[in-house]
Amino acid sequence: MAKSNLFVNGSEGDKAIVLGNEAIARGALEAGIGYASMYPGTPASEIIAVLDKNKKHVENLYTEFSLNEHISLHGAIGASWSGIRSLCAMKNVGLNVASEPAQFLAYTGVKAGLVLAIGSDPGAPSSSNEQDDRWYSLHTYMPIMEPSNIQEAKDFTKDAFDVSEEFSFGIILMAPSRLCHNAGVLRFGNIRDRKNIKGNFKKDPENYLNLFSLAVKNHAKYLERNELLKKYLIESKFNKIINDGQSKIGFISSGVIYAHLMEAFDILGVYDHKILKLGFSFPISNELIKRFFEGLEKVVVVEEAEGFLEFQIKKIAYETGFKGSIYGKEFFSRTGEITLDDVISGVSRFLEKPLPVSFDFAAKKDKELSDKLPQRSGTFCIGCPHRATFYSILKAVGFSNTDEKERDVVIAGDIGCYTLGLLPPYNAMDFLTCMNAGLSIGQAISNFDKSKKVIALVGDSTFYHSGIPVLLNAVQNGADILYIILDNSWTAMTGHQKTPSTQKDIDGKPSANVLNLKDLVKSLGVSYVKSLDPNSVKRFSAQIKSALKEPGVKVLIAKRECILQEIRRNKSLFKNDPKVAETGESLYEIQKSRCVKCNECFVELACPAIILKKDEDTGGDYYYIDPASCVKCGVCYEICPNSAIRKVEFDLKSEFKIDGKSLEIAI
Amino acid sequence: MKKFNIAIVGLGGQGIITMGTVMKNAALNSDLQDVSGSERRGGAQREGYVETFVKYIFYENAAEMNSPRKNMHSPMIESGGANALISLEPLETLRGIKYLNKNSIVIFNKTPYIPISVRMGKTKYPEISFIVSELQKVTKHIYYYDIDAISLEKFNALTQKNIIALGILFAKADIPIERSAVESVLAEGKGAENNLKAFALGLNL
Ligand code: SF4
Ligand code: SF4
Repeated sequence: MAKSNLFVNGSEGDKAIVLGNEAIARGALEAGIGYASMYPGTPASEIIAVLDKNKKHVENLYTEFSLNEHISLHGAIGASWSGIRSLCAMKNVGLNVASEPAQFLAYTGVKAGLVLAIGSDPGAPSSSNEQDDRWYSLHTYMPIMEPSNIQEAKDFTKDAFDVSEEFSFGIILMAPSRLCHNAGVLRFGNIRDRKNIKGNFKKDPENYLNLFSLAVKNHAKYLERNELLKKYLIESKFNKIINDGQSKIGFISSGVIYAHLMEAFDILGVYDHKILKLGFSFPISNELIKRFFEGLEKVVVVEEAEGFLEFQIKKIAYETGFKGSIYGKEFFSRTGEITLDDVISGVSRFLEKPLPVSFDFAAKKDKELSDKLPQRSGTFCIGCPHRATFYSILKAVGFSNTDEKERDVVIAGDIGCYTLGLLPPYNAMDFLTCMNAGLSIGQAISNFDKSKKVIALVGDSTFYHSGIPVLLNAVQNGADILYIILDNSWTAMTGHQKTPSTQKDIDGKPSANVLNLKDLVKSLGVSYVKSLDPNSVKRFSAQIKSALKEPGVKVLIAKRECILQEIRRNKSLFKNDPKVAETGESLYEIQKSRCVKCNECFVELACPAIILKKDEDTGGDYYYIDPASCVKCGVCYEICPNSAIRKVEFDLKSEFKIDGKSLEIAI
Repeated sequence: MKKFNIAIVGLGGQGIITMGTVMKNAALNSDLQDVSGSERRGGAQREGYVETFVKYIFYENAAEMNSPRKNMHSPMIESGGANALISLEPLETLRGIKYLNKNSIVIFNKTPYIPISVRMGKTKYPEISFIVSELQKVTKHIYYYDIDAISLEKFNALTQKNIIALGILFAKADIPIERSAVESVLAEGKGAENNLKAFALGLNL
């Protein structure tokens, strides 16, 4: 975000380069929100993060990283009922957790405007499924707005609060990762006066006591409001018909896919078809669609996933007696992200229009090469304690990648940075679905297959999200399982939001209300609980081995802070106090002469700071610790079976130590 | 309406997103100009594939800018649609090949980062000569340097390689953005002194 903090101070006439997520947050700010919350989740995290970061410069703004989406949406509802405009954000699967409040919201209605911003993730680059949350609205009746670019992300969000208040619905603002993480020009508007943002909860039993016959009444009321909203949407500025040609073919689209479509038309040189851009993809007015159908013989719906628009449009076509044909999923895949390329190819096939030569050539070249290129997957950061944790687990259960031994222990995965442990070289997960599935599914497996030991993994943030009842359930039902909580003190994967485990903030300030995780686990009735540093891999590994021999629920807490946060904090402390920095230096190095390339550090541990180098003299390769990237965690030093890695320390008095022993000769 | 598309690819932790942000901020001067482009970010983890797009649009006049048929906002670049491709990792250049056409300019960094599958001995890392010959089948305008080494030598750190690459881009391609606009963005940002130096260094390579 630009220099003079336009995010907070910008007004009409200003523009800046912002992220789609920031544009959503800015729209909410312009609309005068007083409440913003989320459980962090890619691709939506920056929506609340940017508000949280700036809240000290914004009057009367409350932000919260809630422990889960269910709590977060309830919080937004409470704020709304107190007369405070509220924004809640989450990733697509978050709505599963928040589906209960979402179900009730139409019944009770809102007071001040409420917007639920959802970051969807087609292609699942950061998710465990491709869920299209729009389908929820067929039963929650939450209206859905779909901005197609950065400007609309802000403008729609701002307007959504007005629509929410007028029709008493919480409004869903859908943004796929392509929009959440699209960065470009945003033109600002003015911010509503913030002085008078003050809560005032007025009792409204008829709407808020939602049960028995009152619930039935509320049901009828929201169906009525839904009809009113449909009527409003016939002429609203949000849905647009572009009708400047003679063609009998019409295209319907929404959101980012609409943006792809318009560009695809330009690339294919097609400008004469009728287009309906839906700003609201739910509800859709029959009258609007009827007007669009006029004069058309063929209609194509261009959208992602299973065809939520197509489903509705076909129903309306039936109801309005449309005689033409309607297409959609025949031309645009149900699975994966629909890219600009997919839209170009789909439109070209539908219109039987040839692809541009350069497009065709490049796409074919890509296809031809992609099978030949080595795949690349992300891995843990250099010095990440999760790497040491996985290494320790695999060693404890006798698994090695180098000799491709079978691993008969079942390892249950869960959601977080540590999910990367399922990738090579660790391959250390046997199933992975949703938050806290690891222990619950694992408990049943250990119950029914007594021949295998089960280890379930969970991160601190995921554990606090909904893992406590799962652990309690395992204890109550006498499960036999080893539960390893990888406690790195942060919700690291989504940009380092605090968890109840966070001891110190990045500026060194101790957090308020830090939780003692070990005590919590004990209080749930677990008698076998130990907290230890995963970077001491030999000790940790031995502990896992002995825990696996014990009956019942065993909990090991792998406690070490996320390395990125530790480095960041140290950097900022050095900056403020140069004396702290003067403590000397150390480095780890591989002695070429002693290294036998056993691959323990290079493949088993696979720290990316250990690299392959060409030996200029012999022409062969050797392993080398890149001093520019090594963060000196010392794990490789501990594990090398051949003592080929040494630790070199030198302090300011130029005293040298190698592996802890002083050297006489100063260099 | 004129478009100019830049695709920037590489690995997490190489400063790819920053390059896009700098190039976009250099395009805020004119009202008839638009810029956007999506970023593929993994989580906070390292070494995954990252790409970011910088899409400039220059409109002839306000009417064109406001016409829905001409106002383009796809955050992606289509196959064969990049005027320039910058890659900070040699192998990833080949994953970016789909954006190239015969006029595209390619700038890539020669320092390989070995993927885990290669570490495990399951696949082989392609030779630089293979990468170049594959690229040459699409375009003749290919420039490559050991940008890691240059950054290490001049700045004693790898952190400057992304801005050096931007300097090279301006030296080799005809970018419709003022060089001085990029320099003022760098001058106002963090680490201005080194970034300006790195940019100038790239310009002269
Ligand atoms: S563990 Fe030791 S001997 Fe084995 S490859 Fe690493 S440095 Fe060489
Ligand atoms: S000490 Fe070893 S394991 Fe730790 S960061 Fe350095 S090279 Fe990697």
